[in-house]
Amino acid sequence: MSFEELPHTADVRIRARAATLDGIFADLTNALMQVMYGKEPHSPGLKGALTREIDASGDDTGSLLRNFLSDVLFVSEVDRIVFTGATVQVLEKEHTLHAVLSGEPFDPARHAGGTEVKGISFSGLRIEQDTNGYIAEIVFDV
Amino acid sequence: MLAGIQKKSDLEWEVPVGFVPGMRVPGRFYLSDSLAATLEEGAIRQLANVATLPGILRNSLAMPDIHWGYGFPIGGVAAFDMTEGVISPGGVGFDINCGVRLLATPLGYKDVAGRRDLVDALYQAVPTGVGAKSSLRMDARALDGMMTKGARYAVESGFGLPGDLTRCEENGFMKAADTKPVSAKARQRGVPQGGTLGSGNHFLEVQVVREIYDPAAAQAFGIAEGQVCCMIHCGSRGLGHQVCTDHIAILEGATKRYNIKLPDRQLACAPVSSPEGKAYFGAMAASANYAWANRQLITHAAREVFRKIFSVPYEEMPLIYDVAHNVAKIEEHEDGGRKGPVCVHRKGATRAFGPGCRDIPPELAGIGQPVIIPGSMGTPSFVLKGTQGAMEKTFGSTCHGSGRVMSRSQAKKKISGKEVAAGLARQGIYVRAPNEAAISDEAPDVYKPSTEVVRVVHEAGLSRLVARLEPVGVIKG
Repeated sequence: MSFEELPHTADVRIRARAATLDGIFADLTNALMQVMYGKEPHSPGLKGALTREIDASGDDTGSLLRNFLSDVLFVSEVDRIVFTGATVQVLEKEHTLHAVLSGEPFDPARHAGGTEVKGISFSGLRIEQDTNGYIAEIVFDV
Repeated sequence: MLAGIQKKSDLEWEVPVGFVPGMRVPGRFYLSDSLAATLEEGAIRQLANVATLPGILRNSLAMPDIHWGYGFPIGGVAAFDMTEGVISPGGVGFDINCGVRLLATPLGYKDVAGRRDLVDALYQAVPTGVGAKSSLRMDARALDGMMTKGARYAVESGFGLPGDLTRCEENGFMKAADTKPVSAKARQRGVPQGGTLGSGNHFLEVQVVREIYDPAAAQAFGIAEGQVCCMIHCGSRGLGHQVCTDHIAILEGATKRYNIKLPDRQLACAPVSSPEGKAYFGAMAASANYAWANRQLITHAAREVFRKIFSVPYEEMPLIYDVAHNVAKIEEHEDGGRKGPVCVHRKGATRAFGPGCRDIPPELAGIGQPVIIPGSMGTPSFVLKGTQGAMEKTFGSTCHGSGRVMSRSQAKKKISGKEVAAGLARQGIYVRAPNEAAISDEAPDVYKPSTEVVRVVHEAGLSRLVARLEPVGVIKG
């Protein structure tokens, strides 16, 4: 897992680095969960007890990422699941993806350490490729 | 001050056309020299970006609580022509009709001083924080009621007083609401969250009126020195967040179809008069109504707590006023000597209609609407009144709060939630929150001083000070 929080006055700005686009999408899923539910949401006994599959599409890689994370946010809130694992397969040229997410039921006693994310913003969204792989920055509105 | 920005008077600054390519009108913002020290370049760039949107009238505006947001800056105001102009979810925000209301009680400071049981009871009565579920068993029909009739739906269902409605901006609901463009996803998020506070900067505070600056206005509004009030700050919850998410995606496509060039994707927009623009406006109004109903439900819960603990009759806790600070509206304004409807966006800004405006309660027509400005946790909140100056300069708008100066990540590193809570307790302010970060994230030091922000709008004539309130109890999400 490789992501860090960058300064942003009002919201939460995250930078992730990974060797592959699949990895970037998975890292940012984990970052989103950490912002929403706090740093240590894992409960060893329950880990991976619930799974959900998400298919997402976009006009380009940026909107694919934004649409996917918006879906993760939606499913997590409505189904009350804290995702602790994500396997994402991105089809870069088609701007589509298939993701399998696993997690545990939301438990206020353990998962109240974060803050609600209202939405995934296009402002400041960037995904770039360099010799080390991919780097992405994204803003979660909180 | 940033290069290229021109000072127009003590408190007014101009961002000239050309600051970013494609600006159609200058930007204008209101700031004192001391607040200018924390001004971010990103916020001014966002203010300038808004000036590139088609059909923008007069100026892209920002209030003294301006800070870096997404799309529009926080504190941003812009009005658009009804035929040439656009509507953008980036000018409203994810939390549609995030707003604030102030409730009066007949109690005085001595009644509530040191009463932790009051704050604990409020914390129990109002679901707060991530994953909080409503105690109301709502269904799809109730959701439709909230979306179409707003606060009126809650009052008619037994959660308020008829008099509450006239004391809300828009009487607590926008008639333009259209539930058809509200997606199934948005509805799914809305149903379990009716009557919940949310997290982040949302709060419920028990406050005391500490100073009256304008006795005539205070009396007309219904507040007096020493009086205990209750302030509620929250919005449209997951329903509004999802409407914003859904419609930005729809409007991204529309932006291309209508050949609009944008400097920031979060400014996705469509002509006000286009089918896509109308769909967003209808769904946004439905979300705004949900928010008014939500604040009404929380008001009911708070009144019940005061009734049980202090035996205060329900009717003796009137609503002073309720304002929206993230919204787009069709309002009548004068532009170039001609009065007519325009589409006003307020993103972290408050309507501040002056005396004589027909959209304010008749009993306040000679005074101007009440404007409620929440402080950050532990700092004063203010009641102001709307002015003719706001009508002339800012399409009837003023600031909405104090504006952040420190990021949440910095706040977590620098500030201990426990120490903040202990410090506030020493000042007689008792805080309840689900976790420490909820306190450190919103500590007084992370915000611009609310006193300075309201001084600027007061002196710039965008609204005038009526009263200062200080907290004694806070519940945070």
